[in-house]
Amino acid sequence: MANELASAPIQFQGEWLWLGNTGHAVVILAFVASLLAAFAFYKASQDDSGLWMNWAKRFFVGHSMGVLGIVIVLFSLIFFHRFEYYYVWRHSSLALPTHYMISCFWEGQEGSFLLWMFWNSVIGLVLLRQKSTFTAPVMAVMAFAEVALSSMLLGVEWGSFHLGSSPFELLRSERPDFLQIPILGSLGVGNYLQVITDGNGLNPLLQNYWMVIHPPTLFFGFATATVPFAYSLAGLWKGGQDRSWIRPALIWSLVCTGILGLGIIMGGYWAYESLNFGGYWAWDPVENASLMPWLLMAAAAHMLLISKSTGKHLFSAHLLVHLSFWLVLYATFLTRSGILGEASVHSFTDLGLSGQLLLFLLAFIGLSWWVSHSGSKGRSRIGWGMALALIGIPLLSLVIPESASTGFSSGLKWGGILLFSTTLVGFIQSLMKETANADSAENEDRIDSREFWMFLGAMFLILSLVQVFFATSIPVFNKLFGFKTAVPQAADYNRVQLWLAMPVMALMAMGHWFRFRQTAPEIWIKGLFKTVGLSLGMSFLLAWALEIFELGYFLFLFFSVYLITANAWYALEKKKKTWLGHGSSIAHLGFGVLLLGVLISSVNQRILTASTGIGMAPERNEKGEIDSKGIEFNRENAIVYKGRKAPFSYYQVEYKGARQGAGNDSINEYFLLSFRDTGSGDSFVLEPKTQNNPKMGLLAEPDTRHFLNKDIFTHVSYQSSLDKTEPFAGFKNDTLRLGQTFTTSSAKLALRLDSFSSYPSPEGLIVKLKVAASQMGFGSGLESQYQYLYPQFKINTQSGAFESAPVESNELGLFLSIQHMKILDPNPKAENLEFVMQTGEKKPVIPYVVVKSIEFPWINAVWAGTILMVLGFAMSIAKRIREQRQLLA
Amino acid sequence: MKPLHIALIIIAAIGLATVISLYGNTAQYVSFSEAEALSQEHPFKEYHVVCKLNKSKPLEYDAQEDANRLVFFAVDSLGNESQVIFNKPKPQDMERSEKLVLIGRHKSGVFYASNILSKCPSKYEDAPVQVGTAKN
Repeated sequence: MANELASAPIQFQGEWLWLGNTGHAVVILAFVASLLAAFAFYKASQDDSGLWMNWAKRFFVGHSMGVLGIVIVLFSLIFFHRFEYYYVWRHSSLALPTHYMISCFWEGQEGSFLLWMFWNSVIGLVLLRQKSTFTAPVMAVMAFAEVALSSMLLGVEWGSFHLGSSPFELLRSERPDFLQIPILGSLGVGNYLQVITDGNGLNPLLQNYWMVIHPPTLFFGFATATVPFAYSLAGLWKGGQDRSWIRPALIWSLVCTGILGLGIIMGGYWAYESLNFGGYWAWDPVENASLMPWLLMAAAAHMLLISKSTGKHLFSAHLLVHLSFWLVLYATFLTRSGILGEASVHSFTDLGLSGQLLLFLLAFIGLSWWVSHSGSKGRSRIGWGMALALIGIPLLSLVIPESASTGFSSGLKWGGILLFSTTLVGFIQSLMKETANADSAENEDRIDSREFWMFLGAMFLILSLVQVFFATSIPVFNKLFGFKTAVPQAADYNRVQLWLAMPVMALMAMGHWFRFRQTAPEIWIKGLFKTVGLSLGMSFLLAWALEIFELGYFLFLFFSVYLITANAWYALEKKKKTWLGHGSSIAHLGFGVLLLGVLISSVNQRILTASTGIGMAPERNEKGEIDSKGIEFNRENAIVYKGRKAPFSYYQVEYKGARQGAGNDSINEYFLLSFRDTGSGDSFVLEPKTQNNPKMGLLAEPDTRHFLNKDIFTHVSYQSSLDKTEPFAGFKNDTLRLGQTFTTSSAKLALRLDSFSSYPSPEGLIVKLKVAASQMGFGSGLESQYQYLYPQFKINTQSGAFESAPVESNELGLFLSIQHMKILDPNPKAENLEFVMQTGEKKPVIPYVVVKSIEFPWINAVWAGTILMVLGFAMSIAKRIREQRQLLA
Repeated sequence: MKPLHIALIIIAAIGLATVISLYGNTAQYVSFSEAEALSQEHPFKEYHVVCKLNKSKPLEYDAQEDANRLVFFAVDSLGNESQVIFNKPKPQDMERSEKLVLIGRHKSGVFYASNILSKCPSKYEDAPVQVGTAKN
């Protein structure tokens, strides 16, 4: 592309091509090795000699080393700032500290696929250590997943068809326009790297500690979702009646639910700490994309537990495990294909891989179909036909541009939808048939059995998922069927999820009081009575104390209290063989604490800066009720002038002024707000910041004061420096030496030339003056009244050209510029210098900030609940692993 | 009928009702004139309008006068123009925005937005060429 510039090939200077080539090579190695491993593991599952197994293991280890190689090469490129690589230029910059270099690693799509692949190979290596008949078929699926993931990094193109996108593409091939920069005319195009001195940088919102650990946690969760799916397939392969797959699948489904849940809340914590929407959960499609597989995996884990303990519901266990893995793929498709477009504030851009992502989703559904039909005749012929159609249709729709023939492409679309639905129905039908005997009618669940209630709980979790799924998928349905449905708002989710969470909570609370198969009436009736009674009493007290009287909120409060009480009571009353046995009670209890925290911190949150003004009375709706979202909305922001105090509810807040960050942080401006509690007299300072990012515009990041029982969250909505200001006038020149005083033309300001400093720079000598300024009148001349300004100028040492860098202060209404400098004596001492200073003035503006402050009561319960929940999961996992070991020993 | 089946049928019914009510309650993207007509029928429902900021007309925001009032004009995809009042400070990337999604109600010729989603042309992705000075 660059060859239009010169006939001879250009020699590009200073590029580390060898490193990128190594990167390409390890990507190909990882891809080929995973392909070979998948095939060899498949063969090994049908062959007992161990020959295929040995090779398969070697291939998989080779693949893992390839993945590690990609990680090392990509990190080295970022670490050594090789901006000749597009990925490095796009996602990093010189100023980034090392821990944020790790975040650049997964800012881009390619990096996040790499992260996923890395975890998958780690999990694969763990699974390889186990000696069981499942190893070969399970690893075949793991390796197949790695084939899919590593193909996302291949970066091969045939015409308009892409296969993956490589993180080792060169900047000059991705952005040939960079070779057209005018300055390269004199430097030579081959020296373009001398001009590209810094990268685009990491999105400042992602420069946060939580963004270093949140994505790896989330992707570890995603990667673990593959394992139960692989075990289910391996189980089906052995035959629909096999149950030995359940124990290992249960362990991994617990790992997945625990880790994914932790990852989701970490993301929420990041959003709360660094975004200014005011909260930790906004029902953003990207958040929902990770919540959906979590909800389903939690349901699947319970279904596996039922199957393990009673042998029943094998069909549902298989189905839910499959669905949750498909949802992981669907989530990836949603967030990576660009289909969410305007639906999300932070969805990723389209790399042109949506076709490939869709293909994987369909390929894995096809795989489920294929394996579920493993018993029936004629499977392979139909299977191949299906596989070809599944691959062919998305491929055709990719190759043929939409404009070619609308009739044809809509035919393809409907064909695809039809094929997708028949595959799905075919899979479910066959799965039902295969697992039929295990679910015999005599084994029907009794209403006093634990499995009955646990099954219901799983169904209610799925109900909650159904709403999230259909709401989040609206952009997909709009695209498929040409609807014009708007993207749902957070309130649309809250309204429904508030009620859907209640049966889930109730079942999580009472489930433990039932035994598997059958429970003696006195046990569960007594259990129910005492826990419900205690919870009712406690929730009335809490509702009174927290003033939560609205029916929906009160019921939610009651159910979350019931969830906590019933599980705490059960854990205290029930003796277990090992303390690890209380894992499920603690996880359930933690979830209750989390939901209670969610309720209180949202229902009782208070906007401290809210005010009511003239004409701001809330309107009434048709029913005559006060409409809180009336035409005149709440006025949620307050203005605070510098040096003055404003009441923010029970706080007296003073804006002390702004300061610029130092060093690498100089892009941030901090606003010092001093809060004083008018009741207790306690005070603290919050420093919300804004960043005038040249690429993203002005960004505001909140600052939060954490107390045990509440958080005070504050962010800047507007700042006075954004106002358009009137021009300066009354310009006046004074000729002065150091130490001399002068005034502006209206004599409102007194000024003094304080000191002088100079330092060399590549563009010439930079001279900086320190000028003290104060308002004339009472108290002027006192040192404390002065403000200091630093006008500068630059002299080109060769040409002698003089360039002034004036300073302006809206606060003082002062413009100050050095017009000229004269050296009076050959001896260049400071006192022999004479400066011509120009002053201009205008009406001074008092700096101000517009801020929003929110009090989140008991938000710590959300985080504490999460920790308890993760602890509970860890205990349950440890218990199940121990059981598994004892079983094998 | 076994108890589990009854429960499942109830759950399925709730699920169906949830999805139907989701599509029934979720707003459609409309034009300003449609929003005006619909707002007369259902004055308390909110509508979504996809539009562009009219940059030739003044965008009024004076924090010292009222920190919670932004007034501007927007043009929807059909070319209808409407005055918009938003009771929040000016979103920072308002002028840079390529497209706005306004959520709110239309009342006597003015669209009262309760929320504004602004879509910037190239938030971070296609930032202008980063050109530094030549290395020595």
